[in-house]
Amino acid sequence: MKRALGVATIVATALLAIAAPLRLDGYWLNLAYVTVLSVALAYGWNIISGYAGYFSFGQIAFFGIGAYATALLVADERWPWIIAALAGGLLACALSIPLGYVMLRLRGPFFAMGMFGMAQMVRVLVTSIPATGAGAGLFLPPSFGLVPVYYWTLAIAAGAIGVTAWLDRSAFGLRLQALREDEHVAATLGVDATRAKMTAFALSALIPGLLGGGYALFLTYIEPDAAFSARLDLQSIVMAILGGVGTVWGPLVGALVMTQISEALWATFPQVYLMIFGGMLVALLIALPRGIVPAIAERVRRRAAVGAVEAAP
Amino acid sequence: MSASTRTRQAAPLLAVEDVSLAFGGVQALSNVSLEVRADEILALVGPNGAGKTTLFNVISGVLRPDAGDVRFEGRSIAGWAPHRIAKAGIARTYQIVRPFARLSVVDNVAVGALVHAPTIARARRDARDVVTFVGLGALADRPASTLTLTQRKRLEVARALALRPKLLLLDEVMAGLTPTEMDGMAEFVLGLRERGIAAVAGVEHVMRLVMRISHRIVVLDAGRRIAEGDPAAIRANPAVVEAYLGAPSAAP
Repeated sequence: MKRALGVATIVATALLAIAAPLRLDGYWLNLAYVTVLSVALAYGWNIISGYAGYFSFGQIAFFGIGAYATALLVADERWPWIIAALAGGLLACALSIPLGYVMLRLRGPFFAMGMFGMAQMVRVLVTSIPATGAGAGLFLPPSFGLVPVYYWTLAIAAGAIGVTAWLDRSAFGLRLQALREDEHVAATLGVDATRAKMTAFALSALIPGLLGGGYALFLTYIEPDAAFSARLDLQSIVMAILGGVGTVWGPLVGALVMTQISEALWATFPQVYLMIFGGMLVALLIALPRGIVPAIAERVRRRAAVGAVEAAP
Repeated sequence: MSASTRTRQAAPLLAVEDVSLAFGGVQALSNVSLEVRADEILALVGPNGAGKTTLFNVISGVLRPDAGDVRFEGRSIAGWAPHRIAKAGIARTYQIVRPFARLSVVDNVAVGALVHAPTIARARRDARDVVTFVGLGALADRPASTLTLTQRKRLEVARALALRPKLLLLDEVMAGLTPTEMDGMAEFVLGLRERGIAAVAGVEHVMRLVMRISHRIVVLDAGRRIAEGDPAAIRANPAVVEAYLGAPSAAP
């Protein structure tokens, strides 16, 4: 019964997301795109930071790499956009291997700060290549509608959720969670920590890498502040935390709640919406420190336990 | 005694050879050697700070020795990564219990079972058996953070057993247990032999139990091996009596 309800909710959400471009346009389709993008980014972050416990402030580096690679391949090389975006994602993923090998030696706050620094470094490197137009940015041929980009992003979001759902029940996911809880102990229990966390890091780079290309096409103009957007990075982290770090549905719930509240507030109180929004976030996180999804799960469990006690003779 | 003369000829399961390790200026281990045979329980005895945990860390690959070698089944394993040593057949417990707090009891144990199990479902099934064996069956699906200290000690042992080790390193197994629980733990350690598992049990206090559970005793003091022998010989060894047993605060 409960399971059926869950499946029905998921199917309904998926159908709504798929049908959105048929009924929406302009502002509303933009909002739908940004929502789906946020969901997918939050899932990308959740693998390395939520499951493996390596809290990253720099996954946006891979988003930027994907965005610039796609822009260059489309604008200069005339590649079909979908191939270019795919190549951008694979490039980001490939670069994450040497970067992860170095960065994943750091732990806790040092990893978080290190990743922030790394993202800045990547940003400077990418924008110092003459072909990227440096700080001035890069124009893409504006021949793309938003609809294909929306579906591209939706497909990646669905894939990211699917990977997370698999991760949550797989041996690999259990190893990641063990290493999040205590890396030393996990290693003495046979977990190859380096391999596990590098795999997680590569997945957490592939997802934003694939999304970056779509974003470049959405903007039709790419510059450093957009491609390496600190706001998008922070926003996706906050969404995952709000929904529930290291859970399958946390990032989705967090992203949906946050984008809708933020848009509603922006539309109603354009001058002070950020202030109200910040206050609401603080209140929510104080009330639900582990996020929305774990709080609901806990309540359901407790109710089930009470029910079991009452049902007992 | 005939059993020990017979096994003495066979190659030891574990051989620690002249291992030294310093932390900054502190010499934690100085030329420590010991052997563990496949069918014995070796007690590693010494006061707090003697180097028992450091030696366990060296054997399990958490620390790399400055000098010396560690051989397991004849192969040198010094410098191997911890996960490789675990897969080779050496499991350990920690003196300060370190459960994966947010994972269930079964999942805590399943992590180790994954070394053998082809699927996660199989690993969880194997883990459930081990959890039941150590007496935590009723708590199998609880988060490990809800266990008491005694239960956490058992979980620690269960996780190690799930690796199906040939050698089990038990760091300070008796610490924090009540006398009754200590007897239970002693029974468990003695039972390892029937399961074909050799063990090194690090023990600070409780000489009564050391005498009961061990076939042989190695005594460490300030990073050096000061004595080795069977329980009766250790009890009579003047160096041990002076350095350790003679200290009134160390006797239970």
